[in-house]
Amino acid sequence: MFAQQVVNGLIIGGVYALFALGFTLIFGIHKIMNLAHGGIFMTGAFIGLYSVQAGLPLWVAFILAMIGSGLVSVIIEVTAFRRLRASGEVEFGALISSIGANLVLVSIAQILSKTQVLRFPFDTFPVVMFKFWGLRVSALQLAIALLAVVLVIAMSWYLYKTSFGRQVRAVAQNERAALLAGIRPGMIYFQTFMLSGMLAGAAGVLVGLAFNSIHFMMGDPFLLRGFVVVILGGLGSVAGALVASLGFGVLQTLSVAYLSSRLSDIIIFGLLFAVLLIRPNGLFGRDEAGVLRGRR
Amino acid sequence: MDQILGYRPLFDLFLLHLGFAYSQYIVLRAGAFSIGNVGLSAIGAYTTAILTVQFGLPMPVTLLAGALIGLLFGVLLALPLARLRGVYQAIASLAFVQIVLSTNLYAENITGGAMGYSGIPKLAGTGTLLCFVVATIYVIWAVSRSRIGRAFDAVREDEGMAVSLGINVPRTQTIAYAMSGVIAGLFGGLEALHSYAVEPNQFGFHLIIVIMSYVVLGGRRSVWGPLVGVALLIALPEISRPLADARIMIYGLILMAVMNFMPRGIVDTLIARRARRKARKLAPATLKPEVQ
Repeated sequence: MFAQQVVNGLIIGGVYALFALGFTLIFGIHKIMNLAHGGIFMTGAFIGLYSVQAGLPLWVAFILAMIGSGLVSVIIEVTAFRRLRASGEVEFGALISSIGANLVLVSIAQILSKTQVLRFPFDTFPVVMFKFWGLRVSALQLAIALLAVVLVIAMSWYLYKTSFGRQVRAVAQNERAALLAGIRPGMIYFQTFMLSGMLAGAAGVLVGLAFNSIHFMMGDPFLLRGFVVVILGGLGSVAGALVASLGFGVLQTLSVAYLSSRLSDIIIFGLLFAVLLIRPNGLFGRDEAGVLRGRR
Repeated sequence: MDQILGYRPLFDLFLLHLGFAYSQYIVLRAGAFSIGNVGLSAIGAYTTAILTVQFGLPMPVTLLAGALIGLLFGVLLALPLARLRGVYQAIASLAFVQIVLSTNLYAENITGGAMGYSGIPKLAGTGTLLCFVVATIYVIWAVSRSRIGRAFDAVREDEGMAVSLGINVPRTQTIAYAMSGVIAGLFGGLEALHSYAVEPNQFGFHLIIVIMSYVVLGGRRSVWGPLVGVALLIALPEISRPLADARIMIYGLILMAVMNFMPRGIVDTLIARRARRKARKLAPATLKPEVQ
């Protein structure tokens, strides 16, 4: 029973991780809090659903959803953040303009879906249950867990082992110096936003499949959790986001199972508060949000 | 006359949200990125509601209690948050808001839980709200012109410089938290005495985003920023009512457009533009004023 709860928690944590990865990519590299991430995630779920309804196989729908939400993410970068970055007011300004972008996406989805909760057709993903060591895990849950791990490894590899990743980190460190070194920051923003959007789209389809409910507000609850996970892990730390997501998922499942769902939030957020006091930069954060850093 | 009276609920909402916006404004002004004021409003609202209904205390006493408990929790919140900066501060204070929210949901026998706390008499009308709003804006205006207000600005613009000028940063920010707590608790109490009932989820993530939009859109430096932000964003859904389904979309597009073209918020951008025009007039033609 306990082991089953832990496994369930890890899988929920995997879902948070999928959502949080794209968020931490933008947050960690460009210091932009993209509150439209929930909307992009929802867009992915919608594109996936409509493609499946149009008769395409799931894997095609999945790829279409990733590409589509990646493009939406890039469009948001151009329309909501580009001018703000130039003005140097991005820390607060991005909050509001991305809320605006999120509202636009949510509103389009609401009109398209006529405010209904939509579902994937019954056998979109094969319903298979695996039983081992007394645990029950569905194929879909395994796929989510596997994908979360694969994407984290792929992203760490991309950021830390490739020349693209080096360029991304150079822009994150100092955009002007990177420009002098012959890196085009515009291309970097395109890449990171595309990637972040694709991750969100993948998460959207998987969450839509796992909970079998797709609606225009589905991004909102994930946004708050994603926020918490990213900060808890430490800004821009890919591994930190993964550890924090899994820990968060397990903790949530266990406290709901053994205590009560209302107490669960008190415990989780109390712990978050305590962790931040002990480690002011998150569990794995290296960003010197030092006391004497000049801010505006 | 009926036409004007029809807008009264909207005006009341405007006044209440002005209070919330100023409780947010004052901490941002002092360079603290805390959103804990929403939790303080919740505490103030429940305190006022419970004292009014269970103990039958009169409005001045209950509101004072709401403001004082806001002050108390505001100062208590300032202690741990002083260790944090930037987004980490925001998330820690978000955790505080969530803790208050879940506690209100959990403590059913005191707060009524998810059903909310209802049966509160409506003691605060438009007049009361207006008085408190005017008083709040006056106090904030007066403080921001004083030494403390300039200390707030110094800490926000460059904390290292502020320290080197001999400003005690934790103490300065604690003053801002205390003011924020008083305003948040007071307007939480007014909300309770105005709307018959309070409910835990009304002081949650959604309200945080709404209040943040008011302050950042209007301008988070000038005292008049929140006023403009609240007025615009409260009026907008009313003005765009004929657009029906596309209303939320228009709201979103306007948020994006304003931040794109007035990145410092409406009031602050206008002030900066005027200052630049003045500088251009004074400076010789060859000297281009520096772009800020």
